[in-house]
Amino acid sequence: MRHYEVVFLVHPDQSEQVPAMTERYRSMIEAEGGHIHRLEDWGRRQLAYPISKMHKAHYVLMNIECGQATLDELIGAFRFNDAVLRHMVMRCDRAITEPSPLIKPKDEKEEREERAERFDSDDRDADEDDRATDEARAEAE
Amino acid sequence: MSRFFRRRKFCRFTAENVEQIDYKDLATLKAYITETGKIVPSRITGTRSYYQRQLSLAVKRARFLALLPYTDQH
Repeated sequence: MRHYEVVFLVHPDQSEQVPAMTERYRSMIEAEGGHIHRLEDWGRRQLAYPISKMHKAHYVLMNIECGQATLDELIGAFRFNDAVLRHMVMRCDRAITEPSPLIKPKDEKEEREERAERFDSDDRDADEDDRATDEARAEAE
Repeated sequence: MSRFFRRRKFCRFTAENVEQIDYKDLATLKAYITETGKIVPSRITGTRSYYQRQLSLAVKRARFLALLPYTDQH
């Protein structure tokens, strides 16, 4: 039995099917003596780039403990399910149960503050670039 | 001699004693990619190589899941 982290993207029109799908995967994993340590539904998110002409997708994160046969079965289920746009499986060393940064439901204000902070850091990076070129020029002289 | 005072670069992950850089932590990752979506080299940011390797893997995972863009031309 190993620990895995699984993320899969579901077609936005098939969002209603997500609870049924996770339930199916849960029974698939637990039938073989595996365990789901963390199950997160990130909901419909904007994609950073279109995937098969879709601009949004429903994200689901699972941290599971299962054997190789179960994992193969799970990956097969992803590949033959047309509603799953994309999936990724990663090996983990341990069971991760704390909520991920993407799940936390934030109120509007907090989110705006965070965005402002991010802009500040972007500016700083740009300044650093400028200074790097200044340094290069100084060395050339 | 550069006329400007340059603040010393430091590795944020070493300072915060990060165990593993998470590909889901977009606020952190976005600070280490350019506007065009490239990973900022550690020679600019001062990130230690141990963390830069983790960082690049995290950014690449986030890109695959469309959490971050590969480029600004999508």
